[in-house]
Amino acid sequence: MGLLTLLRKLKRSDSEARILVLGLDNSGKTTILKKLSDEDISHIMPTQGFNIKSLVQGSFKLNVWDIGGQKTIRAYWQNYFEGTDALIYVIDSADRRRLEESGEELNELLQQDKLGGIPLLVFANKQDLLQALSAQEIAEQLSLHAIRDRTWNIQACSAKTGDGLQDGMEWLVTTLPK
Amino acid sequence: MYPASAKKAAKAPTKGKGNPSSSAPLPEWKHAKAAREGFRINEMKMKNAETGEVLWHCGEWDHRRSETSARIPKAILNCRVVAREISFSSRESMKALRMKQNILFDGDLLEEWCFDFGFVIPGSTNSWEQTIEAAEQSEMIPAETLSGNILIETEFFDGPNLISQSKVRIFYV
Repeated sequence: MGLLTLLRKLKRSDSEARILVLGLDNSGKTTILKKLSDEDISHIMPTQGFNIKSLVQGSFKLNVWDIGGQKTIRAYWQNYFEGTDALIYVIDSADRRRLEESGEELNELLQQDKLGGIPLLVFANKQDLLQALSAQEIAEQLSLHAIRDRTWNIQACSAKTGDGLQDGMEWLVTTLPK
Repeated sequence: MYPASAKKAAKAPTKGKGNPSSSAPLPEWKHAKAAREGFRINEMKMKNAETGEVLWHCGEWDHRRSETSARIPKAILNCRVVAREISFSSRESMKALRMKQNILFDGDLLEEWCFDFGFVIPGSTNSWEQTIEAAEQSEMIPAETLSGNILIETEFFDGPNLISQSKVRIFYV
């Protein structure tokens, strides 16, 4: 389990990739990244800036940028677009009330030139909760099928149990532009 | 080094939409001074990256001391993959934050790590974690030789301006 294991399998060399992780506050961005490296996820505070994970495997470097999702911080997201190779967008599948808002933020991101054409992975998080919408329902409500300008994928997951995280990351890392 | 208690914020952090770094900038030297005063390292951690287990943690950062010592369990040298984490807060926004870490053994540069953070949100708390695979066991310098002779120097710059500098001497116990 973990990102490093993934990178070992890839055997890429002499390159650097930047993955940006965005989504509304409380969608689980930080928890997903912590869970991926088997860290304790019981005391996670709202991110008030960025959390970066840099992984070095041989001469390949992967930088994963998780930026806070609170409204006041979203205004600064644009400062982190430059040079991004792939976008992960995290959705709280159980927060039906804010699904529309989440979709609007995603649409804005997809219109950004600096994020143009890069692969998109949507994590439909919190699938462990009873009231969670399925990945398919979310894809429909957000009209993901209308996305034509990039490769995209939606992955049901639970940052709490870890289900789906590795699958999603594996898809993303193998889809990264070479 | 800068005083432990930073002066009261001269300016309330800008809120709302837009990019405040582009509005009404302070003169360069004033901004660098404010950035230095409003910057602090919150904690450093070392973890076994394969299990997520925290092997060393320093949360009480004394900025008045030029050198801090860290007592790290020897077992860390047997970890195949180690993660180092640093968390810092900044009152001011910064345009081009970068970090430089030098690992010195008996004064000689053993490793050098650089990272470009770029933009820093005013009033933010941020973290950077790097996961590195250890050298082969045969290439490892024994703990007894390393202990007390390893110094980690961490410097933060905003563009050309030095923002923070700290040194940690490592003891393997």
